[in-house]
Amino acid sequence: MKSKLSSFLPQTKRFAIFALIPLAIFGVVLVLPFIRGIFLTFTNWDGFDFDRLVGFDNYAVAVQDDRFWSAMLVTFGYVIASLIAVNLVGFGLALLVTAPLRSSNVFRTFFFIPNLIGGVILGLIWQFIFGQALPTMSDNFGLPFFSDNWLLGPTTAFWAMVIVTVWQMGGYMMIIYITGLMSIEKDVLEASRIDGAGPIRTLLSIKIPLMAQAFTISMFLTIRNSFMAYDLNLALTGGGPYRTTELISLHVFKEAFGFGNFASGQSQAVLMFLVIAAAALTQVVLSKRAEVQR
Amino acid sequence: MNKKWLAAAMAAGLTVALSACAADADSDTSSAPASSGDSAACESVTEVTWLNTIKIEIRDQFLGAVDEYNAAQDCYEIVIIDYPQGEPFFSVVTPLYERGEAPVVMTALQEVPDMAERVMDWTGTDLAALAAPGSLDGANIGGKQVGIPVTAEAFGLLYNKAVLDEAGVDPEAIQSRADLEAAFEAVEATGRDALHFSGLWWSLGAHLTNVYHTTAGEDLESKLTVLDGLADGTYSLLDDPKFVDWLDTFDLLNAYTTDSATIADTDYDQGVANLAAGDVGFWFMGNWAEPNLLEATPDGSFGVMPLPTGVSAGDYGNDSISVGVPFYIMIDEEQSTENERNGAQDFLSWMLTTPEGQALWAGPIEENGMNFIPMYEGFTVSPSTYMSQDIAKYIAGGKTLEWMNSYYPAGLQDVYGYEGGQPYYDGVLDRAGYASVLEGAWVGAEKTWR
Repeated sequence: MKSKLSSFLPQTKRFAIFALIPLAIFGVVLVLPFIRGIFLTFTNWDGFDFDRLVGFDNYAVAVQDDRFWSAMLVTFGYVIASLIAVNLVGFGLALLVTAPLRSSNVFRTFFFIPNLIGGVILGLIWQFIFGQALPTMSDNFGLPFFSDNWLLGPTTAFWAMVIVTVWQMGGYMMIIYITGLMSIEKDVLEASRIDGAGPIRTLLSIKIPLMAQAFTISMFLTIRNSFMAYDLNLALTGGGPYRTTELISLHVFKEAFGFGNFASGQSQAVLMFLVIAAAALTQVVLSKRAEVQR
Repeated sequence: MNKKWLAAAMAAGLTVALSACAADADSDTSSAPASSGDSAACESVTEVTWLNTIKIEIRDQFLGAVDEYNAAQDCYEIVIIDYPQGEPFFSVVTPLYERGEAPVVMTALQEVPDMAERVMDWTGTDLAALAAPGSLDGANIGGKQVGIPVTAEAFGLLYNKAVLDEAGVDPEAIQSRADLEAAFEAVEATGRDALHFSGLWWSLGAHLTNVYHTTAGEDLESKLTVLDGLADGTYSLLDDPKFVDWLDTFDLLNAYTTDSATIADTDYDQGVANLAAGDVGFWFMGNWAEPNLLEATPDGSFGVMPLPTGVSAGDYGNDSISVGVPFYIMIDEEQSTENERNGAQDFLSWMLTTPEGQALWAGPIEENGMNFIPMYEGFTVSPSTYMSQDIAKYIAGGKTLEWMNSYYPAGLQDVYGYEGGQPYYDGVLDRAGYASVLEGAWVGAEKTWR
């Protein structure tokens, strides 16, 4: 008993020194508001205060909102498109800059820079590119596809969002893939070469399986970021045209603050959390299975 | 809202010359109780927070006026809480209330009913008594006077006088939709596009739809009955001949608009550029655009005329423009102290009843004024631009229509604009689809006007 206590005390002390402050901050800024947020969905909250509990009424209102489901659908489409495109581009760039090139460090920096630009500024820059730069270039040089402002058509605006997302996130994922590629032991690669494997065979049978962890992380981040995308959505398309590119976060924001439907908007936010959590967990479980234990 | 207040606003604003001498004597007595603090008598300075600067267009002028007031007395200090242009009102106000830092003064329109429980009742105050009769109705919620008006704004077809002169078009002679089409043809004959028809969501969602709602009946009650029917889900828009007339007008504008008009958010600047440069003759917009137009073309003359939707010259609304209060001023009662509320009223009394304040409120932009059309008795200053005089003519002649869009619940104009107006504008939605979006937006809405 005594020995247990004597090891427990220093442990607690160490925990207190290193983790108490971050944990307290985490609790105050994340856990408490989250719990309060869930609680508010069961009240008649009007953004200012509430005076009674209403059970699941807000959820009933929330799920009857057609716009909520169409925003959810658009979000799923956006997540899937970004997931594929961002990771293909990120992985492709990683392969490129890990190739024995003298300028690879310069390229790494260049590809990563878009990630340092905030979503809102990015949105404004690309609004100009899609709205003015590309159509003007298209008129003068006969570029196909870009003669009309992409942001004004529902389908093109959706793909415009995906393009900008790839541009923004591709470089970040590239960094993760680079670490993955670098962590592969040289002797394994050498062995495969001696066994007569070509570059494609090496990539598919050696590199990718051995760096599956990087895929798990990158895909998780892409899924999470795309599900929660807000600033880019707001600044680039504003949900337009005709609210066809309104992602779930923007929808929840509009529902609460634009329309003043705070309680049902908050319920939609909770539903959104559940969906994202489920999607992210599924992805992590599936990807973990593909990882090779060394 | 009725027309009495407009007449009264006229009496207040436009008979300036006549009342100027008499007002001198008046304003002395009325400003004395307003600045009752009397400069030396205050022990400490009370901070009074004011959310935003009413409108982005007169931001610098408003900040200038605040500085002037703060320097003119030492009882109160007006402090501006800024929030970015375009943020929804609630997204700023609710966190401030949550933190216990509610702004003392707020300005809003469609959110007024939502704020009714939290703000001061203006009934019996000096300023409410000075407000033009009827101008208070829009902010009277269940007998409580929740806000007082800032100004009146008008929207309709803005025109470039030089272009219309060249095309031989007299705006006052346009009495029906057919006349309007003939005017468009005449402008096109000069080698220009007839008009810039903005696809901006708020222009389509609030202002253009108002033209239907305000011509749906010939008096306020019958207009509100349409809203009742929509909120109950029993009103069929396509069975209403006024709605079909209005849709025909929408199509007419769409048929003659310049290609550079789009649904993009940047369209407003494009509209200013097109009308100011005389590339088009008309633009469906409001008088808030006049400073922008004059900035682009300082020696231009830009007027406003009705958007006639009826086929015959005598049809209701063909000869009138939509005039209304764009913002009401509200004072928080839940979290503010009595001293703060007094300060807010003292500032407003200074703005609205003293000669210095009035010059800043209604004077021209070039002279640091805010160019507001005065809504209070005893004003000795009034805007003098070409468009203001046009508006004054309509007001004096009783040719004004209510802003039914002030009855739209918060967010409804977004649905009207984004989900109905813009797809119809782009030809993605047909008439039936458009009508059903408009009808759907109302179902279950709270009847704040009852």
